[in-house]
Amino acid sequence: MKLTYKNTRRKSVIASLAAGALLLAACGGDDDDGDTAGGGEPAGESGGEQVAESGTINFYTDKAAWEPQFDEVSAASEEAVGFDLNFSGYSDANAYSAFIKQAFRTDEKPSLFTWHTGQPLKELVDEGLVANTSDLWADALGNGDLPADLEQYYTVDGEQYCVPLLVAYWVMYYSTDIFEQYNLTPPQTWDELIQIADTLAADGIPAFWHTNVLFSFVWFQTLLAGTDPDLYQRLSTGEASYTDPGVVEVMEMWGDMIDKGYFSAPDMADDPQTILKNGDVAMLNFGTFFTGQLNSIDLVSGEDYDFFIIPAVNPDLGATPLIFETGPLCVAEEANDRAEAMNYLDWWLTADAQTTWANSRGDVSFNPNAEVQDERLAALGVEASTDSYQLIERYFEATPTSILFTALDAFGQFVTDPGDPMPILETIQAEADAHWGSQ
Amino acid sequence: MTRFVRPAFLGLLGLVWLTPIYLIVVNASRLPSEYSSRSVWKPAFGPDLWQNMTDAWERADLSASALSTAIYSVLGPLIAVLIGAAVGFAIVALRLPHGFFWFVLVFGGTIFPLQMILMPLFVGYAETGLYNTRLGLILVYTVIAVPFSAFVMRNFFSGIARHVFEAAVVDGATTWRIFWRIYLPMSASALVAIFILQATFIWNDLLLGLTLSQSSDVRPLMPALTALQSTYGGSAMPTVLAGGLLVSLPTVVLFLATQRIFSRGLALGQF
Amino acid sequence: MTLLRQPERAATSALPAPRARSTYRWSAWGFTAPGVLIVAVLLYLPFLWTTYLSFTRYNGLGAPEWLGLANYEQMFSDPALLTSLRNTALWVVGTIVVPVGLGLLIAVLTYDMRFGSWFRLPFLIPYAISGVAVGIIWSFVLQTDGALSQALSFLGLPGSDSRWLLDAPLNTFVMIGAAAWQASGVNALLFVIGLQSIPKEPVEAARVDGASGVRLFRSILWPMLRPLTTVVIGLSIVASLKTFDIVWVMTEGGPGRSSETLAVTMYRETFVRTEYGLGAAISVFLTVVTLIASITYLRRQLSERRAV
Repeated sequence: MKLTYKNTRRKSVIASLAAGALLLAACGGDDDDGDTAGGGEPAGESGGEQVAESGTINFYTDKAAWEPQFDEVSAASEEAVGFDLNFSGYSDANAYSAFIKQAFRTDEKPSLFTWHTGQPLKELVDEGLVANTSDLWADALGNGDLPADLEQYYTVDGEQYCVPLLVAYWVMYYSTDIFEQYNLTPPQTWDELIQIADTLAADGIPAFWHTNVLFSFVWFQTLLAGTDPDLYQRLSTGEASYTDPGVVEVMEMWGDMIDKGYFSAPDMADDPQTILKNGDVAMLNFGTFFTGQLNSIDLVSGEDYDFFIIPAVNPDLGATPLIFETGPLCVAEEANDRAEAMNYLDWWLTADAQTTWANSRGDVSFNPNAEVQDERLAALGVEASTDSYQLIERYFEATPTSILFTALDAFGQFVTDPGDPMPILETIQAEADAHWGSQ
Repeated sequence: MTRFVRPAFLGLLGLVWLTPIYLIVVNASRLPSEYSSRSVWKPAFGPDLWQNMTDAWERADLSASALSTAIYSVLGPLIAVLIGAAVGFAIVALRLPHGFFWFVLVFGGTIFPLQMILMPLFVGYAETGLYNTRLGLILVYTVIAVPFSAFVMRNFFSGIARHVFEAAVVDGATTWRIFWRIYLPMSASALVAIFILQATFIWNDLLLGLTLSQSSDVRPLMPALTALQSTYGGSAMPTVLAGGLLVSLPTVVLFLATQRIFSRGLALGQF
Repeated sequence: MTLLRQPERAATSALPAPRARSTYRWSAWGFTAPGVLIVAVLLYLPFLWTTYLSFTRYNGLGAPEWLGLANYEQMFSDPALLTSLRNTALWVVGTIVVPVGLGLLIAVLTYDMRFGSWFRLPFLIPYAISGVAVGIIWSFVLQTDGALSQALSFLGLPGSDSRWLLDAPLNTFVMIGAAAWQASGVNALLFVIGLQSIPKEPVEAARVDGASGVRLFRSILWPMLRPLTTVVIGLSIVASLKTFDIVWVMTEGGPGRSSETLAVTMYRETFVRTEYGLGAAISVFLTVVTLIASITYLRRQLSERRAV
């Protein structure tokens, strides 16, 4: 049996290494406990009304890729109000939302976190989990840091919760190269847009980008809101049915556009910004946050790309529907450092903070007093608030969760194999019936 | 004749297998501005790969999480392989009563869908103070690797003849000594295989790390890396690919370095 | 010299079993306890909670509301569950045929070959590459007009206009292929460990008797490889029943839920639609299926050799 005794020395070395690493690991853990307690120290329960003058606030978001942008904001806030952010990013929105919900049951309540308007926000409010921000809203509406249009999306039962993290308008980005090559100019009417698509389709170039996952709803909302914004509205509140002739007509128009070769394949794996850069499609129907993504690969507004507001499908509409989204930034009602986090929101709404935030990402700002550097975006922000446009809430936020995800699957199927829209509309309506029936 | 057929067949199949790796490398070696899905096959290699890797490293702030990930990937499988081997030893050599039941109980750990136990784990971690600690992550990475190592070791030990055990007993060795000095050394190749497979799994884990940690020096690499891919403000494809390639280098090296152990003659031939 | 694999000797063991039991019972418990304890606390306990949730309505907030069996009724009445079951069955069969078969082939061809471990390396590397890079590259390979289609059309082969990920059940088949690309090398490695622990004498003896190639494999290698074959197939059954990652990354179960597996359906109900109760019911169902499949398989495999 002598063979079995030979490796003893080496084994004991490994064992002591392992023990050492465990110790190291344990130390690391202790340090972090210190970190997480961080900003909240003086605001402990025993501390009563005492609010810290400076520190670190734990911040959670599902927009993980914006870490550098949030770092800029964090540096600005540290300078302005003495607080910086401890950033935790999630790349998977579903896992993120499950995490945040469970976190409320623990001592790790999310001091500051991003969320979604619509049903997800209402769910948190119903459980009393998010801090009431009515005072912040009153002040900011008073000094013009928040536009009145936004208030409704943050209001539940007459009170306000959270503040806007962002707003974005959904517009049509296009490749200036392709437009020049085919002598095209941004369309003023829907018919002109279709002419452009025809011109490109004749040459085998897909005019529009679309996808069968997540953003599969984008063209549905554009076509329906552009045809009958009222029907779109009623659909989102359950007053209209997905099998309404108006919806069927829109679906048939959509299917017809796909059949005519206006769209790219729905499973393109490239990032949308790369698709635009390479000229794989001519136009992308996207939120204005797309500008930041285009800039990140060195594309220049006006030179490489530009955008236009999508003309209404129905030329008889008084004001052109403009899809817009807004996402909230919230404070947990029972966060250890609730007072500090609320002060942070107060700063967040200021023009200075929003100038930093909007420009770090390259997007429009919800704060009319913020100075947006990108001229086209700045102009869009001004234009959007005029009477020529009516703002329409994005389908993703406007639709209750269970209906939304049934619809996303159904639209994904439709863009892959367009045909008779009735079966998929019936599927969505069945889910809608179940949802509204249980209310 | 057959002497050449075998290497030729394996070599060809191996080349087919490496094709996706080729695609990863060449497309990670283009600057984002030069990348196009219509020319994914075009060869490329050179300083741009380094450039993309540096970008990914800095953007995802990978340096913060590299050390903790290394600790998890070494300690987790190391402890797990010992615990698993102990279970296998008890069942096979010591003939634990109702061994099959206990084996299925431990193996059953792999049966639960991981996604479903994440949330209760998170709540449990938050309540016991294990959340966002390295200790907590080592614990979960250990337990996740235990069923696999128990299964492999149980079956590997069942191939060791009974008289090995009996002879040691006659020599007066304790069970611990038999386990530590006889069974474990005889199983070097199986132990190493479990270790590298589980270390790789843990190194590449996304879900557990994402759910059970928060600060950048506790969080493992993958959550940080996947953050580059995002609907809002994601990085360009070559950057993400380069990042993915960069973090895979240690595991590839691990496989390369341990190959020798699996060549004929070293594993068990020495006994 | 041959310390390994003499089951016949084991049967006629010098120590009678009852004595072995009483002698080693406590120390056997000592060896088993750490594994059983941590698995019970960190894996079983959380799953108990999931099982409880499956009888409730819960959206992640507040208190779960007791529903009884309603989630199970809803699950079994959803026609999409059938698609899920069919796809999961495809995954199980596909995984046992492709990566296990290929792994065995690679192992048998390389285990006693000069530089065998180097010939095996290309098959292992895919496992070492992080999921992020693998997910991206397969999306590029399999997208419409992607790398695979480009290669097929360059080589003048048919199929370049296939919509790999868009048409069912083609999308499930190609994803099984992508999974096989990652898993075959691991299976090969496990088989190699088994093959290398086979003592040389019986193999040499069989060779002297004129056995070679397929006959040698069937008469000597295959039976002696049994412990590791059980591991590989057992793990493949469990892993394939739980197939999630690759499907979620490539198609999210779409288009139109056509490529969903049970685990994807479970994830979708729980995390996407936040119907925790329904998702938990699916996961309980999935767990029961996996448990029955693996116990049935393992019981047969393990008990035939020795009563443990």
